[in-house]
Amino acid sequence: MILTSLTFLLFCVITLLIYFLVPKKCQWFVLLLSSIFFLFYKNFNIGTFFYVLLTFLSAYFSALFIERYINKKHTKWFLVGGIVLILGQLILLKYVNLILITISPIWHLFGKSINLNIFSPTAPIGVSYYSLIMISYIVDVYRGMCKAQKNPLKCALFMSYFPILTSGPFIRYPDMKNKLYEKHKFNYDNLCRGLIRIIWGLFKILVISQRLAIFVNSIYANYLSFNGIYIFLAAIFFTLQLYTNFSGSIDIIMGVSKIMGIELPENFHSPFFSKTITELWRNWHITLGAWLKDYVFYPLMKSNIIQKIGTKTKKKFGKKVSKKITLYISMLIMWTLIGAWHNGAYTFIIGSGILQFIYMVLEDLLAPIASKVNKKLGINQETFGYKLYQCLRTFLLFSFAMIFFRATSVANAIDIIKHMFSFKGTVLTKLFSLGLTKANFIVLIISLIILFVVEYLQLKGSVTDIILEQNIVLRWTLLYLLIFAILIFGMYGPGYDQTIFIYRQF
Amino acid sequence: MIMKKLRNAIIFIIIFLIIFFLINKILRIVPNAISDFYKEPKNSLDVVYVGSSNAYAHFNTVLAYKEYGFTTGLMASDTQPIQSLKYLLKEVKKYQTPKVYVIDLGHIHHYKNDDVGAIRKIIDEMPLSFNRLALTKKLLEESKIKKKDYINYYFSFLMYHNTWEYIGNLKRDNLYKGYLLDRLTIRIEPQKKNDWNYEVSSLNKVQKEALNETIEYIKDNDLEVIFTVPVKVYDKKTMGYINEATKIIENNNLKIINFNTCEDFEIDYSHDLYNSNHINVWGATKFTRYFAKYLDHTYNLDDHRNDKKYSSWQKEYERFAKSLKKLTGEDIKNKDFGKVSQ
Repeated sequence: MILTSLTFLLFCVITLLIYFLVPKKCQWFVLLLSSIFFLFYKNFNIGTFFYVLLTFLSAYFSALFIERYINKKHTKWFLVGGIVLILGQLILLKYVNLILITISPIWHLFGKSINLNIFSPTAPIGVSYYSLIMISYIVDVYRGMCKAQKNPLKCALFMSYFPILTSGPFIRYPDMKNKLYEKHKFNYDNLCRGLIRIIWGLFKILVISQRLAIFVNSIYANYLSFNGIYIFLAAIFFTLQLYTNFSGSIDIIMGVSKIMGIELPENFHSPFFSKTITELWRNWHITLGAWLKDYVFYPLMKSNIIQKIGTKTKKKFGKKVSKKITLYISMLIMWTLIGAWHNGAYTFIIGSGILQFIYMVLEDLLAPIASKVNKKLGINQETFGYKLYQCLRTFLLFSFAMIFFRATSVANAIDIIKHMFSFKGTVLTKLFSLGLTKANFIVLIISLIILFVVEYLQLKGSVTDIILEQNIVLRWTLLYLLIFAILIFGMYGPGYDQTIFIYRQF
Repeated sequence: MIMKKLRNAIIFIIIFLIIFFLINKILRIVPNAISDFYKEPKNSLDVVYVGSSNAYAHFNTVLAYKEYGFTTGLMASDTQPIQSLKYLLKEVKKYQTPKVYVIDLGHIHHYKNDDVGAIRKIIDEMPLSFNRLALTKKLLEESKIKKKDYINYYFSFLMYHNTWEYIGNLKRDNLYKGYLLDRLTIRIEPQKKNDWNYEVSSLNKVQKEALNETIEYIKDNDLEVIFTVPVKVYDKKTMGYINEATKIIENNNLKIINFNTCEDFEIDYSHDLYNSNHINVWGATKFTRYFAKYLDHTYNLDDHRNDKKYSSWQKEYERFAKSLKKLTGEDIKNKDFGKVSQ
C-alpha cells in the first residue's frame, strides 16, 4: 500500500474510526487486524505467509524459552537459534543473489556457471524491518531488559505494527510494550499534531521528492549525453530526493501513529545541517544506526576476536593505535552491514556502507591535522561561513556516495562518476527540457527553501509547536497554504508514478 | 471546550471545501460548449441542443439570437458517446426550462467509449451531482479504461491539478455561446456528397439501449424534442444506423428531421464543409438560418433582443462578427454570406 495513495488514506481513516470506537481494551487487537491486512494487502501467498510466520514463531518461542531457562547454560542457544532462523530467512529472501554473484567467479575457476535467477522469491513487505525488530526483541529478553510477551497475538502486533512496515523506524520492545497495548483515548491535540505531520510528509514526497525524481531519472537514464554539471546536479538532487522521500514517509507514519496516541522514535533530525559525516549519520536513519550500534557494534567490540586483535596489535603498535584498529575493524563490519541492509547489491554496500566508513575514518584521522592547519592559518571555526562550508562539504561527500546508491551496478556508478568530470558540450541549456519546466523548477526551488527553513527551525525545537502556538488566523493560513500547495503542485494522479518509494523496497 | 474544538474543525473543513471548489474551477482551463452552457443564468435558454461536435460546429447560437432573438444552449462535446444523452437531458432540466430540446444524432456511432478525452469533455464540465456520478459510472463501465483509473474520473482534480502552469496562457476565446469559430471551422475542404441510402443496419445493444432510455426519459418528463440528423458525409453503415433510429423515434411519435434529405435545404459540398464530418462557418450560417427559422416558427420562441438581461448575447454576436471578419475578411452582415441555396 503506497503511503500517498487514496487507498492508504482510506485504510487509515477506517482503522482510526474502528480504533476509537471499539472498547479500549480491544484497541490493540484492532491494530493487529489492520496490521495483518496491511502486511498481506495485494501480497498474500503461501510463501509470504510462511516467511512471516517463521519469523514470528522463531522470535516468539525463543523469547519464551530464553525467559524460562534464564541463567541456564543452554539459554544462549535459544538466542542463537532464534537469530539464525530469522536471519536465515532474511538472507534467503534478500541476499541469495548477492552471495551467488560473489561466489560465481570462484565457480568459474572450476569451469562451471551459476544461474543467478535460481531463487527469486516474493519477500513480504517490511521484511528488513520486522526481522531486525524481532532480533532486537529476543536479544532484549536475553539481556533482561524486558519480559517475553506471552500473548502470541500481542507479540504478533509488535512485529507487524503497520505504520513501521514500509519505512521504519526501528522500534524496540521495551519502549513500545506499554504504548502498543495500553488504552488510548481520542485526543484532539494528537489529531492536530498527527495531521500536521502527515501534511508535511505529503509535501516532502509529492511536491519535492517526486519532482526531483523526474529530473534525476532523466539524467541517470541517459547520463552519457550530458555534461558533467548535469550529473553533478543530478547527484545532489538524488540525495535531496532520497531524503524527502524517506523522511516524508516517516512523517506520514509518525503522524498516523501519533493520532492513535502511539509515539514512535524519531528517525531524522535535520541531517543536512551536520558538519561531519559522523554527525550526519547520527541524524539520518537514526533508529537503524542505533540498532546496529546496540546489537552489532558494541557486542562486536566486546567479542573475543576483536579483543584478541586488540591484544596483539597493542603489543606491536601500542595502545592508541591498537584502539583505533579494533574500532575501525568493528566499524567496517557495521558499515558493511548497514550497506547490505539497504539491499543485497554491491552498489548499496559501497554507497551507504563502505564509502561512509572511509569518510568517517578519514574524518577521524584528519581532524587533528585540520585543526592544526586552521589554527596556523588563523581560521575561526566558529564563524557562520566556516560552519556553512562544513555542512556543504558533508552534503557533497554524502551525495557523491549516493551515486552508488542510485546506480544500477558498481560499473555503472564508476562510469557516471567519470562523466561527472567531463565538461564537454553545452552548459545547462537543456535544463528545462528534462521533464521539469521553468515553472516547475521555480516551485522546486521555493519548496526546497521552505524545507531547509523548517529543517533549521527543527534544530531548535518542534515546528508543530510553533504552528500550534500561533493565533487561529495565521495557523489556519499556514495549514491551508501547505495543503493547497500539495493539492496543486503535488506530483500525483494520472501520469505520475506512485511507486517511486525508495525505502519501501528494503 | 469539546464543542469549541468541534466547531473549529467544522469551520476549517468548510473553508477548505470552498477554496477547493474555487481552485478546481480555475484549474479546469480548457472550456468547451458545455462549460458555456453552465455560464447561462437559470431558465434563460429557449432551446437546448444536445449532441456531438455537429451541434457546436453547425448551429451558430449567436446568429440565431441576432436574427430571431431566441437563446440556445449547447450541451455538446467532441465525439460525445451516445450513452450520455439521457443524462445530459437530465442535466439540462436541472438548470433550464427550454421550450424545445434538439437532439443531434450525428454521433450515433460513438458508443465504444475508447476515447478518454470524449468522456472527460463531458463529465469534467459538469458540477458534482448524482447525475454526473451516474453518467461517469455508465461511461466507465462501458469503456476499456482500467478499474484502477476510475478514481481519476470521479475526482477530476487528480487530473487537472497540474494545469496551474498554463493558467493565463490558454485562453479559449473561440467559443461564442458554445458555437465554435476558429482557424479550423473557416477551412474549405470540398467533399463528395453520398446520396442517402435508405437501407437499415441494426443498432447494437448499447446504441438501442441509449436511444430507448432517452425516449423513455423524454416521454416520462413530457419534453418537447426534435431529433436531428446533421449534414455531413456519411458512410453506408452510419446511414443504416440512422435509418433504424429514425424508425424507432417515429414509432414513438417523436419528431426527427434529416437535413440530408430535406428538399428545401441544401449546402454546397464543394465549399461548405471543413472536413467530411463538419460544415464550416459558411455551411453553419446556411444551416443556422434555415433551422433557426424553423424553430422560431414552429415553437413560437421568445424574442429577447430588446431585453437588457440578454445583452450578453448581443455582445457575443458582435465579438463573433469581428472574429469572422478577422479570420475570413468577410462580413456576416453581407446578405450573401452563407446564403441558403434554394
